[in-house]
Amino acid sequence: MKFSKLIYRNIFRNRLRAILTVLLMAAIFFFIATLLSILENFTLFSEAGKGQNRLATQSAISLANVLPVAHEQKIRQIPGIVDVCQMQWFGAYYKEPKNFFANFAIDHHHMRTVFDDYAIPDKEFEAYANDRQGTIVGPELMKRFGWKVGDRITLKSTIFPFNPELNIRGVYKHPIDSSSLFFRMDYFQQAMGNNGLVGMFWIKVKDAKNMTSVSKQIDDMFRNSTDPTETFTEKEFQLNFLSMMGDIKLLFHSISLCSIFMVILLAAITMSMSARERVTEIAVLKAIGFPRGLVLTLMLIEFALLTLIGGTVGVLGGTFVYRFVNMTEVTQGFLVNFGLYPTPIIACVIASLGVGLLAGGWPAMRSANMSVVDGLRRVV
Amino acid sequence: MEVLVRIENVKKIYRRDEFDVPVLNGVSVDVGRGDFLALMGPSGSGKTTLLNLIAGIDRPTGGRILVEEKEISRFSETQLASWRARHVGFIFQLYNLIPVLNAFENVELPLLLTKLSRKERREHVNTALNIVGLGDRMFHYPRQLSGGQEQRVAIARAIVTDPTIIVADEPTGDLDARNAEEVLNLLQRLNDEFQKTIIMVTHDPKAAQHARRTLHLEKGMLVEMLTGAGMEAMSARAEA
Repeated sequence: MKFSKLIYRNIFRNRLRAILTVLLMAAIFFFIATLLSILENFTLFSEAGKGQNRLATQSAISLANVLPVAHEQKIRQIPGIVDVCQMQWFGAYYKEPKNFFANFAIDHHHMRTVFDDYAIPDKEFEAYANDRQGTIVGPELMKRFGWKVGDRITLKSTIFPFNPELNIRGVYKHPIDSSSLFFRMDYFQQAMGNNGLVGMFWIKVKDAKNMTSVSKQIDDMFRNSTDPTETFTEKEFQLNFLSMMGDIKLLFHSISLCSIFMVILLAAITMSMSARERVTEIAVLKAIGFPRGLVLTLMLIEFALLTLIGGTVGVLGGTFVYRFVNMTEVTQGFLVNFGLYPTPIIACVIASLGVGLLAGGWPAMRSANMSVVDGLRRVV
Repeated sequence: MEVLVRIENVKKIYRRDEFDVPVLNGVSVDVGRGDFLALMGPSGSGKTTLLNLIAGIDRPTGGRILVEEKEISRFSETQLASWRARHVGFIFQLYNLIPVLNAFENVELPLLLTKLSRKERREHVNTALNIVGLGDRMFHYPRQLSGGQEQRVAIARAIVTDPTIIVADEPTGDLDARNAEEVLNLLQRLNDEFQKTIIMVTHDPKAAQHARRTLHLEKGMLVEMLTGAGMEAMSARAEA
């Protein structure tokens, strides 16, 4: 393009201002891309069981309430069910509260049929099944705490009155979840005095088409009992779990929009200053024959490129930072396998372009519409 | 001499807040092809306004301006921009070069609006800069040039498209005597050797001496037309 040199030189005519603007854009879009990627991370996690035909049955009162273990046998009577697995959120940490992660007591007899997307080598599973205090751990946790198969660890409970002492018997593999810990339900029940209560049931359904009807049948079955249930698909369950942290999605989107609004205002100030400094130059360009549309286009390209550079630096910087910073460790397991995802990256790059066009639109239009005589007369 | 610019009863009134300020009150004049015309007069007499109207960067309130028999005062803004790109070369008092572009790139600017190839543009720019004697300063930025050199780059920018008219608004107003003389000699050479039609606004009778013809404006009216001899007498009076 014939005008590329003119555009490039104008972008960096005031080098300090250009660099500060790029840094401002980079910082804001790094921040926004991070927020959006956190949401994406959560959503991805809620999709972890996609295609697994799993239902989660919990107490209709709340997730914190427990259900009788006896519900399991009744649920099994419903046609179309492959298997049922008891599970209990344990909520313990390792050594210090900052070492928090997802840990569960699980019925090891039915674990592999209901959670068949969790790959465990047969030998390791056998070792786990033969050890009441055995545990199966995600690879991220193994790395985080430097554990090895065969290590004996003690978890500190925050909910239940006992601290399980566990022997690591194996490491599972899962496409998304890599930092959970599972130990045996019979060990948990024994420690709790075999009270016959459990947090929830996971149900594997044979056919995806029957998920809704099975879910309804389960809840109908216990509707008038002392322990009514509420059954969700796995995705609904995960999203409900996340919603306990408040409407994070709305909060993050609001913060992102506010940040973009602020950055538009800041960029508009910078761009107005830049246009104002060049009133005479723009008048000269128009005098020598540059049409109004061309002046407008050149200025818009210049402003949009400046913010686009900033946005791109921000997301590339973010990608680089999260490649080297272990966010699982930094966030104490809150974010697993975290990095900037493609959708937030593309959204931020497009938004940065939009910021340039919106912020630069008014000063560019004012410059393009200015009369040549007025521009030449102006002493800036 | 063939008439290039015909100005017929041109009036210009500026509106300043609620006041109408008449600047030109029915000026009529012809400028021939290859003429070198100086416009003189006190501040506020309307000489720059007349120059702007001839150059097509302003519009008259009344009357007609014809260049090569085309009534430019009726052109739309887009038509005027395109017309200026092909027919007018501008020289300003404060040079008005683009500071982020070097001499070569400044001179090349008007050519970016043409369909010339990169090679052709380079040839045109080289020729223009050699005419003004700055072939060796092509890649110097305006801040690296003296005032006189900057004005010569501006002149190269004005002639690079081989325009029909060159308009110069106080081209020596910001220069010392020696540089002013160099610039005026250059304009005279463009007129003599290349038959360029030049219309120049100036306060300086000595600068006007370089023109073939001088028009004197006062309060928006043409009051006097001086040729070579008359100008010499005026210049002598100014020196006394």
